Amino acid sequence: MLDAFEILTTSGIVLWRKEYAPVSSNVINSLINDVFIEQRGQKSSDGGSNPAYRKDKYTLRWTSAKDVGLIFVVVYQSLLHLSWVDNLLRAVRALFTKQYATELKKPHLTNIDSKDFDPTFDALVRKLDTGSTRRPSEPDSDAGVIELTPPSSTVSAGEEGADEDDAPPPLPGAPQFKKPAIPQRQKQESAIVDDTTSADITPVPTPDASRPSTPAQAPSHLLTAKAGPGKASRRARKANTSAFATSAPASSGDERPSSRAKGGKASVKQKRRWDANGVATEGDDDAVLDYSAVTSDPADGEGELDVDDVKAEDMGSRTGKGQFVLKDLDDEVDAILASSKATSTTSTSQTPSDPSGLLNTATSKITGLFRNVVGGKTLSKADLQQPLAQMQSHLLEKNVAREAAERLTTSVETDLLHHKTASFTSIDKTIRESMAKALTRILTPTSSLDLLRNITSTIEGPTARPYVISIVGVNGVGKSTSLSKIAYFLLQNKFRVLVVAGDTFRSGAVEQLRVHVRNLSELSRRENVGTVELFEKGYGKDAATVARDAVTHATNAGKGEMLYDVVLIDTAGRRHNDTRLMSSLTKFGQLANPDKIFMVGEALVGTDSVAQARNFAKEFVDTKGQLRNHGVGMDGFIISKCDTVGDMVGTLVSMVHATGIPVVFLGVGQHYGDLRGLNVGWAVDKLMK
Amino acid sequence: MAGQSTLESWLTWAFSPSISAILVTLIISLLSPILIHFYLYRKAQSKELPSFLLLGPSGAGKTSLLTLFANGTSSKTHTSQTPSSALCALPSTIRSTSDRYRSENDTSSQPQFLLLDTPGHGKLRHHALASLTTSTALKGLIYVVDSAALSSSAGLTGAAEYLYDILLLLQKRHTGAKTSKDPQALPVMIAANKQDVFSSLPTQMVKTKLEEEIARVRATRSKGLMDSGVGMEDAGEEEREWLGEYGAEAFGFGQMEEHGVEVVVVGGSVRGEGGEKGDVEGWWGWVGENL
Repeated sequence: MLDAFEILTTSGIVLWRKEYAPVSSNVINSLINDVFIEQRGQKSSDGGSNPAYRKDKYTLRWTSAKDVGLIFVVVYQSLLHLSWVDNLLRAVRALFTKQYATELKKPHLTNIDSKDFDPTFDALVRKLDTGSTRRPSEPDSDAGVIELTPPSSTVSAGEEGADEDDAPPPLPGAPQFKKPAIPQRQKQESAIVDDTTSADITPVPTPDASRPSTPAQAPSHLLTAKAGPGKASRRARKANTSAFATSAPASSGDERPSSRAKGGKASVKQKRRWDANGVATEGDDDAVLDYSAVTSDPADGEGELDVDDVKAEDMGSRTGKGQFVLKDLDDEVDAILASSKATSTTSTSQTPSDPSGLLNTATSKITGLFRNVVGGKTLSKADLQQPLAQMQSHLLEKNVAREAAERLTTSVETDLLHHKTASFTSIDKTIRESMAKALTRILTPTSSLDLLRNITSTIEGPTARPYVISIVGVNGVGKSTSLSKIAYFLLQNKFRVLVVAGDTFRSGAVEQLRVHVRNLSELSRRENVGTVELFEKGYGKDAATVARDAVTHATNAGKGEMLYDVVLIDTAGRRHNDTRLMSSLTKFGQLANPDKIFMVGEALVGTDSVAQARNFAKEFVDTKGQLRNHGVGMDGFIISKCDTVGDMVGTLVSMVHATGIPVVFLGVGQHYGDLRGLNVGWAVDKLMK
Repeated sequence: MAGQSTLESWLTWAFSPSISAILVTLIISLLSPILIHFYLYRKAQSKELPSFLLLGPSGAGKTSLLTLFANGTSSKTHTSQTPSSALCALPSTIRSTSDRYRSENDTSSQPQFLLLDTPGHGKLRHHALASLTTSTALKGLIYVVDSAALSSSAGLTGAAEYLYDILLLLQKRHTGAKTSKDPQALPVMIAANKQDVFSSLPTQMVKTKLEEEIARVRATRSKGLMDSGVGMEDAGEEEREWLGEYGAEAFGFGQMEEHGVEVVVVGGSVRGEGGEKGDVEGWWGWVGENL
């Protein structure tokens, strides 16, 4: 069913893992890269079901425990629809953080001896696994089965046969659960093991589970102690029938066992003879049934009986305790699931209980104020609400789109919730620091953006070809101007540049580029640097074909040396919500196949920048229908007119937020030289000012 | 009521000019600063553990190395998102410089140090740069590279650019020091990890490849565009932005010694072939030397 389950820290150390089938560690690495670090394609879906992430043939679901910095990831084949893994994740999170609470709090955590967790996990899986499509069975339904069964199984073996006929109805639900072989569990000594056994036992038992346990029963007293209850109780039942509510017959279920039971009934006398030793061959089925009945039976009377039975032996108390613990664990799992269900509907904010009395409120307020100044305050949702709202409006004033601002504030909130402020740090300061960190993370590119380095490596070597850059954008944002700035920058580095007039639509566009090229070639002639020329086919032609022709021209079509190092393609400006014009971009991307596609966005635009960036990015798909550049679409943004907005550079954030594409250049003036790379620290400073 | 009256009587005594009240006041006023001093002193002292910083591109094996140094065995790891730290002790076979003359058989406690792990992902390198500038007790940097990934041009460029950034930061730290007293020199060890992998480059090759690539990075960086953050007034300080010997065509790690940065390349592997223990003796040796 599952392929793997891993518990890892945010620092990347795997604390516990279980692998059912070999899963490449790349799968989880790409989950971390895409979702946690790049925060790409993540819908805010806290509370309800855990979000899913698909990679190759796997689906990954995860949940995290922020306070201890743990991530729980489950990996399974995408073909399966395992709705119960949500519950599994929740239960594992709660149990693991509880079981290893002390270790997780230690400062230099590098390793946890978590072998003990294996059985707990196995038990959980068995309890929760309801197959690939079914909804997990409700705890209530389990209870229902238990309640149903008692009436059927009140009396001695003689009547069991008759009871069995009544019993089947509750049974059908049972086979879903696979019950572990009890003897295996018994070998393990730790209390946790006891838990797990109990967890295993409590769900509706199945016949096959009880079978292995029966043989074990005979040889040792210890085993009898644990497994014994079934048998002993059966005997005991004869004595005090009312005490037991056994569902034994129910679990045996089928017609076949019932007929055997009838045989057992015939051999009642034999059994009596073998009483002390254990189960007779004939009694097997009955005993099996008894076991399941006993284990499934939550009645306290059973437990007591157990203890009585075992008291003579050393292990008795432990078995008894084991069963209680077992019951606890089971309840616990149910409680975890129930509470998570409850929290999915209502928000999880834990409001501290209102201190009663005037004095108490006053002191708590004073300490709260004091803490706010001195630090060491654990932040609650209420504490964060107001300063975060302030922070958000501050971002909006900086021209950050509302969508991006909201995402940033939520990421800061999740970062800081239940977090303790450092000493002598106020909430505001903590929020500012966290926001600066979030902005840095969003603006920092994943890989380096050394354009010159890319160009030199492309135009050198055996597979040399011209480096193709194309520029897209909405009307009037400064595509041609930015293009000529880039051309100037490349010329300074002594490249041979071919400028392609891909705007075959707007009158004057070609002439405009011609002027730029004339100026640039004059400049570069004076400075004795690179050369630049214009490639144009006039108006009315298909831009994609022009671009392709230009690239072939630059490569010199295989006739010796290539003529140009870099091809810069200008395109017609288009409204991002004009489907007809936008769709022609796809063809353009495929025919010209640029190494880099840069989109120009102006710093002046506000909320619309998000839509612009998204719509342009989604047009650039390759022939297989995949977005180019690893599913991002474009390679970078050029933000023009940055000199006109002062410190309201929020557009940077909005556009990067919308697409995850980095900002490569900033246009900061009217001259050819006014092109800058992005300094993340500078941008963050301006935004936080 | 009863509580009120006791409080009242207690207050009356506290403000009365009786000898006992004065004595108690004196004792409190004299002792409290001493106690506070001891408390703060304890707290501050515990932070002074020498530390080493783990740097390097993502997937090089930093976190694995951390777990290996801390626990003796390397755990399975994934991409890190947050920095972490671990308390490590030198193994008994390695002697730190200060303990050089200690007997081989002296098995008393080995010096402890703190190993700081940083995420190598491109977006999260600010953690590393921050801890580089803020940590006070830093004794050295361990730059982990995947020797197998260096044979591809993308892996080499990634590793070299990050190393370039760090070395430039160290150089600026040295040249930009305000006082005449140099900041403490930080040695750098380039740990050529994954030497067990078949396609990995030998240690010497790792060194030359990185040097060549840094020279190329340096060349394009010097020709690249200015940052948006740089004002016009300090545009002329080109020399400060040049790593190593100014104007030199080739780059060698030897050029860094002028700036108080000693760079060594040591090979090893966190994981051994076929479940054997990795080869980390060289790295331990370097840590011992610099502790």
